[in-house]
Amino acid sequence: MTEQNVDYKKTKKRLDGRKMDETRPLKIDVGVIPNADGSAYLEWGQNKVYAAVYGPREALPKHSANAYKSVIKVEYRMTSFSVPDRKRPGPNRRDQEISKVLSEALSRAVFVEQFPNTEIGVYVEVIDSNAGSRVACLTAASCALADAGLPMRDLVAATGVGKAYGELVIDLNKDEEDAPDAVDIPIAILPNSEEIVLLQMDGLLTKKEWEKIAKLGIQGCKDVYAIQKEALQKKFKLGEASKKDLGKKTKKKVKK
Amino acid sequence: MKKIVIPGELLSEERKRLGGNVFVSDGKIYSRVLGISDDENERATVVPLEGKYNPQIEDTIIGVVSRVIHAGYIVDVNSYAESFIPRSALRNGELKVGDVIMAKVTDVNEVKEANISFPKRMFDGDIIPVTAVRTPRLIGKNGSMLELLRNGTGADVIVGKNGRIWAKGGDLELLRKVVFFIENNSYKSNLTKAVEGFFK
Repeated sequence: MTEQNVDYKKTKKRLDGRKMDETRPLKIDVGVIPNADGSAYLEWGQNKVYAAVYGPREALPKHSANAYKSVIKVEYRMTSFSVPDRKRPGPNRRDQEISKVLSEALSRAVFVEQFPNTEIGVYVEVIDSNAGSRVACLTAASCALADAGLPMRDLVAATGVGKAYGELVIDLNKDEEDAPDAVDIPIAILPNSEEIVLLQMDGLLTKKEWEKIAKLGIQGCKDVYAIQKEALQKKFKLGEASKKDLGKKTKKKVKK
Repeated sequence: MKKIVIPGELLSEERKRLGGNVFVSDGKIYSRVLGISDDENERATVVPLEGKYNPQIEDTIIGVVSRVIHAGYIVDVNSYAESFIPRSALRNGELKVGDVIMAKVTDVNEVKEANISFPKRMFDGDIIPVTAVRTPRLIGKNGSMLELLRNGTGADVIVGKNGRIWAKGGDLELLRKVVFFIENNSYKSNLTKAVEGFFK
């Protein structure tokens, strides 16, 4: 569904009613998969993503092991029902590319050199998608890594920015991604140092537009970071222990 | 004030003595893991809340024999790598796959493989798995919590630092319940008092 003759400069509002610098509602739950070492579930607008972390464990096959650091093996998969047309299950070119860029982004955040000869398995499954699933996966995966208790430099916060219908916007949805002048830029940073760990671009921008959009993206990532932080902290409640807590499963919550 | 910190969270901008699970960048101290930090402490340190067992020298661990090879036994110690016990380390008898042993970590090498010795085979008994980084709370100060568990349930309890508890005899059902309680509330204060309530 592509809209014709839409001009954001005139409407001042986006197709789904958001402001230009407003992200879709983001919700993160941590520790949702009991069998995983760390896990997270994320809802970002229509995107729904599960991330699970296993390890560090013995790297297999043996030739993939690195004697100086741990190898982060990311598997990005979309379920066949996650897109309007059925997606053929099994890894395709796009899945492989996203797995690779996510692995590179996460390797910068984790102190991989502390676990030589091991692998860290990160499995992200897209249940539902509507543009920006790679940034959703990266955000969820970094929460899952923190939940697994791995030593990290920082969380990875990611967001999509770009241009649609003549305006610079943050967190594009599918309608905006299909706009005639669309530019889509997934960006991920380590919020403390503002170090960029993922940056891809689709489309054309002027230098001025890029300077504006980089600022917008970094601000967007920091907003995402605040939600990630809250999600990780809400799993634990400090205070005095009492017998009443016995029934409550604070460690692993199974979502229905 | 104690608070929950996430990886990469700023702990202090001043110079401080460094404890565990922190790193320094540009002269500032940051947390490395998800854990608890107390900013009134003179040391900048974080107590982790999640994570696998990181072998340290002198730790008592509970291992399970996973493979038998010619020279000895490969033991699963619930860590990043498996450990090896030579046949000569056993005083008598042989081990089979699935046997439970208690051993001490004598050395940890650069790829975090634990060198274990003084193996002692544990007969019968149950293993209760817990999160490895939370086992210190199950032992308590000078073993106070362990004492409480042993007296309260009448069971023989050995806490392996690698996140395995071996128990035999006594009220195992109650022990399981209490261990589950301690594990899930390990980051809270006044834990010993709450546990005492179970045994009244």
